[in-house]
Amino acid sequence: MQHVSHPSIIVVAALYFAVVVAISVWATRRTKTASDFFVAGHGIGLVALTVASVSTSVSGFAFIGGPGLIYSIGLGAMYIVLPASVTNVMGAWVLAKRMRLLGEARQLMTVPDAIGARYRSPLAQGLSGVAILIGIIGYMATNALAMGVVIDAIFGVGMGWGIWIGMGVTLAYSVAGGILAGIYVDVFQGTLMAAASVLVFAAVLKVGGGLAGISAPIMTADPAFLGPWGKITPLAALSFFFVFGLGSLGQPQGVHKYYMLKDPLQLRWYPLLKTLGLILVLLLYFGVGVGVKSLVARGALAPLSAPDAATPTFLLRFTPVLLAALVFSGVAAATMSAVNSFINIAAAVVTHDLPVAFGRTIGNELKWGRISTAVLAIAAALLAQVSGTMVAFLGIFGWGLFASTLVPALAIGLNWEGATREGAIASISTGLVVTLVAETLAFRKLYTLPAGVTVSGLSLVLSVLVFFAVSWLTRARAEAQIDPDVRMVMAV
Amino acid sequence: MTKRIALAAMVLAALAIAAAYASAFLPGGAPGWAPWLMALGIPTTLVAVMVLGAARNGRIGRLALPFAFSFCVLAAGFCLAVALPEDAGAGAPLYLGLPLRAAIVIYGIGLFPIVVLPIAYALTFGEQTLNAADLERVRLAGEAWAREKAGAARHPVAENPASAVAAEAVPALPGARA
Repeated sequence: MQHVSHPSIIVVAALYFAVVVAISVWATRRTKTASDFFVAGHGIGLVALTVASVSTSVSGFAFIGGPGLIYSIGLGAMYIVLPASVTNVMGAWVLAKRMRLLGEARQLMTVPDAIGARYRSPLAQGLSGVAILIGIIGYMATNALAMGVVIDAIFGVGMGWGIWIGMGVTLAYSVAGGILAGIYVDVFQGTLMAAASVLVFAAVLKVGGGLAGISAPIMTADPAFLGPWGKITPLAALSFFFVFGLGSLGQPQGVHKYYMLKDPLQLRWYPLLKTLGLILVLLLYFGVGVGVKSLVARGALAPLSAPDAATPTFLLRFTPVLLAALVFSGVAAATMSAVNSFINIAAAVVTHDLPVAFGRTIGNELKWGRISTAVLAIAAALLAQVSGTMVAFLGIFGWGLFASTLVPALAIGLNWEGATREGAIASISTGLVVTLVAETLAFRKLYTLPAGVTVSGLSLVLSVLVFFAVSWLTRARAEAQIDPDVRMVMAV
Repeated sequence: MTKRIALAAMVLAALAIAAAYASAFLPGGAPGWAPWLMALGIPTTLVAVMVLGAARNGRIGRLALPFAFSFCVLAAGFCLAVALPEDAGAGAPLYLGLPLRAAIVIYGIGLFPIVVLPIAYALTFGEQTLNAADLERVRLAGEAWAREKAGAARHPVAENPASAVAAEAVPALPGARA
């Protein structure tokens, strides 16, 4: 990413970090138990939860990588975000109520907790915890790297220091305030991101002469860009929609938040508010990607040296410096927010789910949660610094791994009494093995899947089919594997 | 019955998507029918899983209409994107600023469902999703389970020995199997 150092941008970014620190000090005073640390004491209000959830959903990718992807492959990149029109309400019907009620009945704190409770199976809980941990290691390392890149771009401190500064700030509020600090930092950041996104989209329309004015030069220079699949195959575009649509039901950073809502009856307005919030935040994704392509097509901008330069180039050339500062600070904060969320989930796996899988419990989960948070954050920062291309490899399969290991066992299993423990374990194992083997083969260039087939799509559909097949084969055991209170949660 | 249909639809849709992926391994790449399988399989999967989640006592009530609408919008959007001829380039007419097929995808698939589904969710929330009475039943069930677990810990006889007792202690939901 190019350097964007400018006094106004540095001042705004410094103010941004100061607010984050102030929120974490406030949250620390309110974090007294493991439940406070991991699920905010089941006490977050509707608006705060919605804004925080939007903020966690998009990460820095929506502001930098996403517009760059549209610039390079056209509308095909929209299939990553188009499912947002259904995913939030789908998550509400399929998971939100049941997860929140399981939290109510059993005081559950983690996503693997729900799987363990559903199937009365520490093994299924532990396996899903392992899958989450593997996915999160990659996500955290890539986000740590992204933090380093963005902080270096703003402050000019070098990427290595950028990683440690970003991780240091994140670590401070993650260890002290846990998810409570994360939620309220996300609220602050999500509000600014939405406002900045709308303003940038308005700037794109103004510079481009409206959407028709933006489309016209592209239709002359490169009509395939605005084709329904952009520059990728229909199979690849539809595969994106499948993985980012159905796969959204397995993303722990989103699903985990259902536990935190104070009053389950407030879920009524959650999907509507979250969908509207996401649309606002994603305006920048679409607008800058298409807008910069149009500016290049009509000769107002030179072709970009790298797709990721789309957002910085547009902001620095066509928007007021204060707006650019808000977006750059928002990107830094978005990566920090993603790291906070993932660290918290990973710490819960380490201190809660894995011990449960081995039939043990840890005495002081709050203390050990804080310790494992610090260890995981340092490990992610080290991994981001020393492992080079390995980080990119670890980062690419996180979404697909979560989808293939959690969607069948969690999303379908919580809504189908006929699902069995054996089906859940088989599907989680299928998702893990297919994803890890296929991604490793592709990374080492030993085997590449045909055009249009993604590892994440393939592993998701296979794990769904394995889940149904094994559950059907072992259907005689299904009835006895559900506790009465869990059955009640599944029935309402 | 509704859940069975949703599950069957989900299995068939997953098989269709798997077949589309498998076809890409054929010599010469994915044939022309592969995107059609995806275009129909994806909306089926998404709507089926929503039906599965929304079904209560085996029924989806007033939600049938929004679910049918969403399936039609998604399936029609994908199928039109596959079927319509390419846009004409520089002289192509624009619809709300985009060429036809792009407009179908962005406005149809990306925006239409938003107008219907979250509002349907909110309007049917009390009857179809959750109300105060449901919440109370779940709390009682949780307390019964906790008592059962505490009892089992004091008198460990067999795995989960008091499940039947707890099941009887929980007030049944009308139509539920508990």
